[in-house]
Amino acid sequence: MIGFIRLFIMLFVALTVIYVSLSFYSRAVRRSKLKKKWHDGKQLVDRDTFVQRGLERYDGSIRRKLILGVYVVPVVVIAVIIYLTNFT
Amino acid sequence: MFTVLKWVFWATFWTLVVAVFHYTLPQVDIVRVTDTYEKRIDPGENSLFWAQADVGSDGTMANRDVFFIQTRRVKGDVMVYRNEDTGWGWPPYFKFDTSNLQAEAADAKSTNEAPRYFALKHYGWRNEFFTIFPNAISLRQVEGPEASKGIPFLNIFIITLFAAISWAIWVRWRRFRMARIDPTLEAIEDDMAERRGAVRRWFGTWKKKT
Repeated sequence: MIGFIRLFIMLFVALTVIYVSLSFYSRAVRRSKLKKKWHDGKQLVDRDTFVQRGLERYDGSIRRKLILGVYVVPVVVIAVIIYLTNFT
Repeated sequence: MFTVLKWVFWATFWTLVVAVFHYTLPQVDIVRVTDTYEKRIDPGENSLFWAQADVGSDGTMANRDVFFIQTRRVKGDVMVYRNEDTGWGWPPYFKFDTSNLQAEAADAKSTNEAPRYFALKHYGWRNEFFTIFPNAISLRQVEGPEASKGIPFLNIFIITLFAAISWAIWVRWRRFRMARIDPTLEAIEDDMAERRGAVRRWFGTWKKKT
């Protein structure tokens, strides 16, 4: 029991670090893409407004929620290993 | 001299990495199981190479009973494997079914006259000088001593992934060094050269003017 708790606490901490870093990185990439899109486009609004609106749309998007997969994947891998090692 | 030191450091580092992978990744042997037994062991200097007590038991006991599987490999030599839970710890095999595996091994016993061959997946090393044993993970019956061990897909995948990550880190380190560290070092060197020139000129003002 204690082994299980220890493993999952360590995993949770490590995965949270990865999740937060990945979130920031992904948002920064989205921001720079928005800036480029504004630069190449019709420029109906000023750049900051354009980028702000684009980021708000990004914040609600599926792409952002997919980053939570960082938590899901290792747990699934562990479950598969347990099944293959112990039940076949 | 620093070049030698650098080479020694990196050689040691990569030897350690290769050793860890060779110990931890699974390997398969084609064996004939001859016997199984249980023995009380007291991990001492070699405790790094023993796992822990079965999941759920008291993990603080200094010595415990460990299952062993004795085999004769088709190579011709004997090999003794231990059979321990890895539980939730390292290596991440999540092996909980030690007793089941022991039961399978006991059922797999055969004699030289009527041999039955098995593919035994294991990890770890056998070293008589330290009394360490590889840890058996699973047993699978095969047709005969010539049976193939199969292609180690998992090992290939893990090693390729590790190589890719190392290369990615190395490339980023090089880029960082070229962008930040080298110009700074060059600026320092130029600075020092300038100052050396200035000191020499100041010394020159003390020389006798002939």
